[in-house]
Amino acid sequence: MEKKSLWKKLTSSHEASLVIVLVILCFLVEMKSPGFLSMKNILEILKNNSVIMIMSLGMLCVLLIGGIDISITSSLALSGMTMGMLIKYDIVHSTLLAFIIASVIGTVCGFVVGLVVSKGKVTPIIATMGAMYIYRGFAYLVANSQWAGADALGDFNNFALESYLGFGIINNVLVIVIICYIVFFIMLKWTKFGRNIYAVGSNTEAAEISGINVDRVKLAVYTIMGFLCGLCGALATSVYASAQPNMQQNKEMDVIAACVIGGVSMSGGRGSVGGALLGALILAIISKALPLVGIDAIAQNTVKGLIILVVIMLNVITKRMFDKRNLERREM
Amino acid sequence: MAGKSGRTIDATVNTTWKNRIFSWEGMLLLLFFVINIFCRCISPNYTIINVLREMPKYLCEIFLLFPMAYILILGDIDISVGSTVCLSATMACITCNAGLPFPVVILVTLLTGMVCGMINGLILTKFTELPAMIVTLGTQIVFRGIAEIVLGSGGSVSLSNTDGFRAIAGKIGPFPYVFFIVIIAAVIFTLISTKTTFGRSLYAIGSNSKAAYYAGIKVQKIRFIVFTITGTMAGLAALFLTSALYGANTTTGSGFEMDAIAMAVFGGIATIGGKGKLLGGIISAFIIVCLRIGLGQINMNPQVILIILGTLLVCAVLIPNISGKLNIRKKKA
Repeated sequence: MEKKSLWKKLTSSHEASLVIVLVILCFLVEMKSPGFLSMKNILEILKNNSVIMIMSLGMLCVLLIGGIDISITSSLALSGMTMGMLIKYDIVHSTLLAFIIASVIGTVCGFVVGLVVSKGKVTPIIATMGAMYIYRGFAYLVANSQWAGADALGDFNNFALESYLGFGIINNVLVIVIICYIVFFIMLKWTKFGRNIYAVGSNTEAAEISGINVDRVKLAVYTIMGFLCGLCGALATSVYASAQPNMQQNKEMDVIAACVIGGVSMSGGRGSVGGALLGALILAIISKALPLVGIDAIAQNTVKGLIILVVIMLNVITKRMFDKRNLERREM
Repeated sequence: MAGKSGRTIDATVNTTWKNRIFSWEGMLLLLFFVINIFCRCISPNYTIINVLREMPKYLCEIFLLFPMAYILILGDIDISVGSTVCLSATMACITCNAGLPFPVVILVTLLTGMVCGMINGLILTKFTELPAMIVTLGTQIVFRGIAEIVLGSGGSVSLSNTDGFRAIAGKIGPFPYVFFIVIIAAVIFTLISTKTTFGRSLYAIGSNSKAAYYAGIKVQKIRFIVFTITGTMAGLAALFLTSALYGANTTTGSGFEMDAIAMAVFGGIATIGGKGKLLGGIISAFIIVCLRIGLGQINMNPQVILIILGTLLVCAVLIPNISGKLNIRKKKA
């Protein structure tokens, strides 16, 4: 196989075109409202979108095996809410313990979904839709028509304000985001488990025949997704300084949209950590930039939806053009 | 796990009584009676009159069930219907408040829904590579976004002149008009899916769209039609929802898409396409409506109702799968 030149690699990879889109986007916004690209502002955007960024990693894995998970924000709410209540009633004091509790609850939620999908052979959309209702319902029951505000959370809020994990330079929340991205990058790129994920997504039957335990991979992926939801439940509680049962409701669609914009295929097997990151960043910058460039807050959802539609349609058009060009080359 | 290629369509239909009773639909009918007896036991107010009085606002969702069942049979999915309902209901209120005659209001509402459905259909048939889930996710955000723009900063609108909507919210005896329209729609949609070429091609496409294409079925045309019908039915649902609520806001119809999918799946219509009967969906829709009314009457926390519905939904798919597995094991042993 001939080696692709660097130029061709750049023009043919989805990630490269996303980087270009991102740069142009930032440049345009910066022209319209100077100061957008200041370090402080960028860090603020990243912090406020940390939840979407982390969850899109888990969603990436779920989409890679050809599944989908729309229960994520419900398990996020359940774990965040439970943790918030435990802090409110002074049962838990340490921040670390709170994070562990939230993550464990999230992991259990994900594990149950994974069992239903892998062992019960229920289609992912149905299983996670049921789980979405159930976990959200439990979140409301745990809350018992109360919520944990900034004063009730006390010390826990400081986690998102301080930066002891980042040696005083980078915010704690961002450190967690960066760690997650590094772990997932390594996992998907260089470990056997990562390769198994891609194998299952590309062709489930072939993966099964070649000796991969498909059910176990599925179970693991949904459990990882659950773990990230739990983690994000704690993060979201800390970043927004409140735990409410309707936390992040409907944001699962944003997570899926981030992945799809990042070039992750909904039918499985295609997608990368870089793509998920860029997709999440583009969505984050769009929602932050729209008010700055003078688009009314009311019209934001419309613009966001239109951008998602345009991006996915452009994806198809460029892919068709590539296929056509490749075909012509073969004919010559 | 058999892939898409492993599925077959039964050429012969067994209609012995035993098969009928032990079919999924038979079980659902049984469950329907059980649920009704259960509700009657826990709530003294659970009488036919009271149930019919509370029904209209739940019945609107059943309008979405029929086209959603078609879409699921095709192997697609549409999560934008809730937003379409929101946009149509908004347009209904706006045009009605503008003083237009009521027939025009009805027309505008249905047309809004239809256009929304056509946009979905157009994108999906022009870009066949795109999965319906992600396209309708985009349009879901857009349609509700447009409704938000139309509604303006207040985020809600209430009817200033309710005469027209009061008329369609009327009753014949204890039965509201909506009830009859739902029944008529149910009969029409069921007949189309079982007795016509169109209905058969739905199942053919859902089972194997490539084979259907080579067999001469105009796959994309049918998908377009089905998505357009979905939009129109969402408009109809919006019309009756407005007649029950006398207004619209930015959250109108949110979650309807999930409810409609849940009803269909609970009724035995598989999301992978090509399987299931509309009858099951209709029975399961009434089961869910009765359960909601019954549990609502004893002031049960709405969140607990959500948990029950979610559990029912997962179990409805899980139990046949597990029992199927056990049967296979038994045969092997």
